[in-house]
Amino acid sequence: MSEVRLPPEPLGGSEPLGGPDLPGGGDSPGGGELAGESARSLTAQTWRQFRRHRLAVGGLVILGLLTVAVILGPWLIPFDPNRIEASTANLGPSLTHLMGTDELGRDQLARILVGGRLTLSVSAAAVLVALIAGVAVGAVAGYAGGFIDNVLMRVVDIFYALPGLFIVILLVALIGPSYWTIVIAIAVLSWMNTARLVRSSFLSLKEKEFVEAARTVGASDVGIVVRHILPNALSPVIVAATLGVANAILIESALSFLGLGFQPPEATWGGLLSDAKSSVVITGHWWRGLFPGLMIFITVLSANFIGDGLRDALDPRSAGIKKG
Amino acid sequence: MVGPYIIRRLLQAIPLLFGISIIIFLMLQMAPGGPLASGEAQAAITPEQIERLRGHYGLDDPLPVQYLNWVGGIVTGDWGTSYDTGQPVLKAIGERLPTTLVLTGLAFVVSLLIAIPVGVLAATRQYSAFDYASTGLSFAGIATPSFWFGLMLLYVFSFQLDLLPSSGLTDLRVEHTGLADLWDRTQHLIMPVAVLALIATANLTRYIRSSMLEVLGQDYVRTARGSGLPERRVILQHAGKNASIPVVTIAMLMVPDLFLGAVITETIFSIPGMGALFVHSAELRDYPVLLGILIIAALLVVVTNLATDVIYGFLDPRISYE
Repeated sequence: MSEVRLPPEPLGGSEPLGGPDLPGGGDSPGGGELAGESARSLTAQTWRQFRRHRLAVGGLVILGLLTVAVILGPWLIPFDPNRIEASTANLGPSLTHLMGTDELGRDQLARILVGGRLTLSVSAAAVLVALIAGVAVGAVAGYAGGFIDNVLMRVVDIFYALPGLFIVILLVALIGPSYWTIVIAIAVLSWMNTARLVRSSFLSLKEKEFVEAARTVGASDVGIVVRHILPNALSPVIVAATLGVANAILIESALSFLGLGFQPPEATWGGLLSDAKSSVVITGHWWRGLFPGLMIFITVLSANFIGDGLRDALDPRSAGIKKG
Repeated sequence: MVGPYIIRRLLQAIPLLFGISIIIFLMLQMAPGGPLASGEAQAAITPEQIERLRGHYGLDDPLPVQYLNWVGGIVTGDWGTSYDTGQPVLKAIGERLPTTLVLTGLAFVVSLLIAIPVGVLAATRQYSAFDYASTGLSFAGIATPSFWFGLMLLYVFSFQLDLLPSSGLTDLRVEHTGLADLWDRTQHLIMPVAVLALIATANLTRYIRSSMLEVLGQDYVRTARGSGLPERRVILQHAGKNASIPVVTIAMLMVPDLFLGAVITETIFSIPGMGALFVHSAELRDYPVLLGILIIAALLVVVTNLATDVIYGFLDPRISYE
């Protein structure tokens, strides 16, 4: 299960906590810019906390399995997701076709697996783009302060007030439903939360002694931001990003369901549901509707559990309230 | 000092609306080939006709001029006409808006009616079977895509049980009057409202539960209990009143989400509301209609935020209006 790894947790060295190394994942990529020992043991501390949250661990395992399945699955199962075969049309679930077939005789499991590739990768890419944009805006606003901060935060306010789903629909309909259009359209509506979180971390962190110290020894502004403040400001962002994945999956699926996302024969989970509508409602082929939706449900649920677990692990104050 | 406060917040909303309108306007310019591109591609019209159309819609003016003309039109009530039907935009929206508002309003009421008792009960019986069940269900509700839920409801109640109609707002085959008409409309709304209310209900239940739990741990609740008040009064009056303050904010902020979510609900159940009109117009690139609906939606967001602030102020005397 080394496919999915806990994101590196660069909680800063303000509270030196001891602890064993993260089992098998201590040197995860991205953790490199962290200053040595204390950050690493904090990662371990976080992981220990996280492991106590059983639902979160379950979510991580399921999301890991799903990721492996959509990556490797299409090569392992003996059906071509796009091959039209009249003799196998509209079959219910069986040992041969575990999730049944559609009206063109295509194996639904095969379509769900290739569809999962698109749905998951678009969502991950959208979150990544939103994260980069949000961190950039938040860092500039928080570090610069004053007028620049004010302007950037008003822009954030405006984006918050945009009618989200309508804007995504608009952008995709206008520019055309390509992979990157969908990624950008989702990201355009998802960067503000990160920007606010990063900004408020920056506002408080830039007054700290260690920043003062770095400045005294001649570190540049960029150096201070990237090497000293940013790693300390990331933990709320990681929680927001995990929950953002769930949200992105729901938006992409909704877009595909409305027929505005990826176009056939390209499969996505939302697209499969959209195609299934008349089969389910008029001819009663329940498996066409049940399985694609179940995949979205399980994935979103897992991502939410992981986000909750991370929040509890990274923010000790919230742990007491959330239990139960 | 509530009056001046409201006026000040209203004035703050104006630049916000301008910002939103600029961003929406700029987004529309991003379509490759401009607003008439799809028309050029589809219909067999001559370049001269396109030239004329461009002139007619003012598409040759510089962008700032186009923007000002458009905003001026919005303010004076001239929202343009649909490229598709030639109908005035305000009229097209006016025909669809009530349906969506009814759907949104009903879903909002339903989610409150379920979430408040369930959330309060779960909090007062923390760690009970009821608490676990309701928490589990709200987690599930948040992760359920509404179109999947709708599709499954359609399978069970329309296909299998044949209890509820699968689309539209009324039965077009039979003319109903009086009570029969009301029953007909109710039947058509049950599933759409359930689908739209699902996520809001799940979210609200969680917020109400945690807000209630926080308040129940406070000293004044213990004091109220200690002074021998009946548990009912402690929970409803002392705890409930204070727990309701954050909940009102969250609940109000859900109204725009419900309104936007209606796009999906209307698509599943073929209901002729604003959301369906928006998707249709997006497919046709019917710019004036798209812009009009976006402005209505943005107005709704801004007005709800404003209303939330004001209500919050009334509920919580600690808020200062200075």
